[in-house]
Amino acid sequence: MSMKRFVIIGNGPAANHAAKALRENSSESRITIFSKDPFRSYRAHLLPDFIAGLIKEEDLYNSSYAHYNEMDINLRLGQRVVSVDFSKRNVILDHKEVVPFDGLIVATGGKPRLPEQFQLFQDIMLTLKTPLDARMWVEKLSNVDSVLIIGGDLTSLSLTKALLKLHKRVKFILNDDAFWPVPLNEEIYRAVTGRLEQRGVEIVHCRRIRRITQLEENLLEVETDREILETGVLGAFFGLVPDVGFLARTGLDIDRGILVDEFLKTRFANVYAAGDCAQVYHPALRDYWVSIGHENATALGRIAALNLAGSHFEVQVKPESILEVGGVKINTSWWTEF
Amino acid sequence: MPEVDFTVEVCGMAGDGTIAAGGLINEAMSHGGFSVLGFDSYPAEIRGFGRCVTNSRIGSNEIVALGEKTHALISLNDEQSRSRTPSLAEHSLVFFDSNPPAYVPEDNSLLSVLPPGAQVFGIPFGALAVGASGASRGRNLTALGGFAAVTGVDPNLFRKVIRDKFKAKGDRVVDINVKSFDAGYEYALEKFSDRLKSIFSKIETDHDPKKVMLSGNQAIGMAAIDAGLKLYFGYPITPATPIMEYLAKYLPERGGRVVQMEDEISSIGAVLGSFYAGTRSMTATSGPGFALMTELITHGVMAEIPAVILDAQRGGPATGLPTKTEQSDLHAAVFGGPGDSARIVIAPTDVEECYHFVIRSFQLAEKYQTPVIVLTDFFLDNRVENRPLIRAMEGQAASWNVFPDEAFKDHYQRYADTPSGISPRALPGMEGFNFTATGLEHTEKGSPDYSPENHAKMSEKRHRKLRYALKDLEKPAEFFASDHLDVGVIGWGSTFGSVLEAVEKSRKNGFKVGALKVTSIFPYHSETIGAFMAKSKRVLVPELNYEGQLANLIAHLDSKPVDRLNFVTGTPIPPSAIQSRIEELLGVLA
Ligand SMILES: Cc1cc2nc3c(=O)[nH]c(=O)nc-3n(C[C@H](O)[C@H](O)[C@H](O)COP(=O)(O)OP(=O)(O)OC[C@H]3O[C@@H](n4cnc5c(N)ncnc54)[C@H](O)[C@@H]3O)c2cc1C
Repeated sequence: MSMKRFVIIGNGPAANHAAKALRENSSESRITIFSKDPFRSYRAHLLPDFIAGLIKEEDLYNSSYAHYNEMDINLRLGQRVVSVDFSKRNVILDHKEVVPFDGLIVATGGKPRLPEQFQLFQDIMLTLKTPLDARMWVEKLSNVDSVLIIGGDLTSLSLTKALLKLHKRVKFILNDDAFWPVPLNEEIYRAVTGRLEQRGVEIVHCRRIRRITQLEENLLEVETDREILETGVLGAFFGLVPDVGFLARTGLDIDRGILVDEFLKTRFANVYAAGDCAQVYHPALRDYWVSIGHENATALGRIAALNLAGSHFEVQVKPESILEVGGVKINTSWWTEF
Repeated sequence: MPEVDFTVEVCGMAGDGTIAAGGLINEAMSHGGFSVLGFDSYPAEIRGFGRCVTNSRIGSNEIVALGEKTHALISLNDEQSRSRTPSLAEHSLVFFDSNPPAYVPEDNSLLSVLPPGAQVFGIPFGALAVGASGASRGRNLTALGGFAAVTGVDPNLFRKVIRDKFKAKGDRVVDINVKSFDAGYEYALEKFSDRLKSIFSKIETDHDPKKVMLSGNQAIGMAAIDAGLKLYFGYPITPATPIMEYLAKYLPERGGRVVQMEDEISSIGAVLGSFYAGTRSMTATSGPGFALMTELITHGVMAEIPAVILDAQRGGPATGLPTKTEQSDLHAAVFGGPGDSARIVIAPTDVEECYHFVIRSFQLAEKYQTPVIVLTDFFLDNRVENRPLIRAMEGQAASWNVFPDEAFKDHYQRYADTPSGISPRALPGMEGFNFTATGLEHTEKGSPDYSPENHAKMSEKRHRKLRYALKDLEKPAEFFASDHLDVGVIGWGSTFGSVLEAVEKSRKNGFKVGALKVTSIFPYHSETIGAFMAKSKRVLVPELNYEGQLANLIAHLDSKPVDRLNFVTGTPIPPSAIQSRIEELLGVLA
């Protein structure tokens, strides 16, 4: 029998744990990882520390290139998958390369979510997902001393800590669907705004943002229904949404994320999804839940790989740890202190 | 001050404009004030159909050897470029066409075989070139644009050399080519705005207008013309043919002629004939052709007729490896042929020396009335370097002919036994200086004479003359001179650059190492070489041959055995291989 070809789309925690488990359970196979990002796998939770200047960029990355060579995994960075042909069992890359697979794990994670009303201003708002975004923050922050954050997800709280360390003036507009992936109820709202204010963050109360205008390279004007604010940088923090748009027309079942059963299997044989991009079936709830967070991602990545290699592990999540935010069921392993 | 030592390769199929792109990189970086050493390789047996690769090593300090690891690969044909990936450096930059005309299966793709740390820069070369110029032909220039943007090369350097290259074809051609370059430049600047490197932009360099970009072959051709060459006789053979092509183009302008002969035997015959008549002439060949010449070369030795023969060595024996480099004709050059036929053999080590040594070869041939063999090799002939090249001034290439004194008129002895062994040479037709020149053993007068006394005397005279020639032959040059060395490395020919780099690096690692450059292969300066060997605890001779041909020649000069490093890979010896050997020997010493 010819050597099995396993392809993993993604190079985050889900993908890397999947690759490791696949290699451990299938020593003969050919394993390829694709990442659209041109850098190594990194620890996302350290990005704020890097922005604060507490760690060097190198410290963000968690595995050496040699590690992939040792594991005989073909790591292909900076190469974007643009489609998958499930009938021919090929992955198609941005640069028109066609890569056949016997087994596929999709672990494309999430991408910063931007509510529709803000999409027009995408280019003037900073988000934070990758080391490249972090570098952008570092560069911007060297020229400005005020930051306005709209939204207010868990990431924004860790970033705020970093901004305060850098002695920046921080203002916050806590948006309605801000606290993704935690539901923003009155209790949490009060607790969070209290903590923020205690630390010197100004909470801006408003119902809506009317306009954002770039006045100068490092000066933006934000008009709310109550006032006009000026800021050096504007950050948008509305959580992450599964990064699966490129699979929309491939025949995969996609709701918010890629729909998989409790074994992480998609409707195509030997095709699995894991991590932030997956929406996993829960037999007891009879519904799908979205996974968020590092720990979840690694666990799901591993299960997907083991099942692809022939096992039959079911994802175990207690129904009570699944929250509902804005009509979406979520399970998060993510906890950040502020 | 920041330094740079960067190797870039361009790889494509013939027709992709690979060699042109590599040439433009060399020229542009040279204009930017960098030191450049470039080497193109292509399978010449199928030139026009096969893979072409150019390798350019660019440095802020002087570059003397080829780069070992590639820091940037510009792929004009991904299937061909797959073969280049083993030499990629750890975080190499890879430029490729991100919008090829057709879908590519993984097994033919370049990206599928890159090491994990490679940084890929996909640029739609073809599509951008079409957009800029209406045709995809300029995709090599688009690729250069991408390379310049990402590595931080001043785009004006490229624009200038593109203009220079195409100016003869008119403004429109210049314009579309510059536009193709700009299309790649601007695309990459925007697309990779967060990944741009300032590899070259950080470096302060001074452009030296005296620096010219020349290949060994061009330097040889230029030198021959500057030396007043009148006749070139030759028969095409790789890697010597470009010399003939160069001269065919430029020699007629200077009143000279290039004659393609029926073979190498007639070529050397014609060279001897014209020098005999007092006209500077030369031939260039490679191992197999040189072998055919040996009988007539010894005729030159015996009849004391000047000749200049350039042997551009390639892999041997026999037809061997026509497009690979080797230093394995040393024995043949020094000893090849019947009888005790000592002749002068010199070997330049870089492009600049190619120029000066060829000029000198005519003078040596004239003064010592013997064939002079200039030993180069595929790598030296084909590599390009930008060095300040000082063209020979009027007089520097002057004739060294030693004509007979009027006093000897009417009783002229062509082979007069003088203290130096040099017999003043009359040219045919000089009144009162009639003589017989012959390949038979002869008396001072030139009459055949096989008596034991005469053969002994004349053999001694001819060898005395060669010993005397040493005073006009370049002495070995010592680098990092010191009274005592732990390892003394002796290098010759194109390998010397690698020796120098290896020794320099070992010294930086704190080792007591020195280098000796030997350019006069025969006769050689035994005292200087012997003294260098004596003061070195170990003597290492790296050579591109299996037998250790220079090592064999000089081993007897010192009582301890010579350590050899012999490569027959067909490619230049990497400096790191020499350095490892040096440090291995040092380990043995410790
Ligand atoms: C600033 C920040 C702080 C965080 N802090 C915490 C924390 O404290 N605790 C916690 O549990 N979680 C935290 N998280 C979330 C956590 O990082 C994610 O949940 C986790 O990384 C998800 O892993 P994943 O493997 O599913 O996807 P990701 O890590 O998002 O990886 C996705 C991969 O897919 C690749 N990809 C996407 N699309 C394509 C394509 N089309 N072709 C090729 N490759 C593609 C990407 O290049 C990337 O390599 C934080 C996230 C951020 C941004």
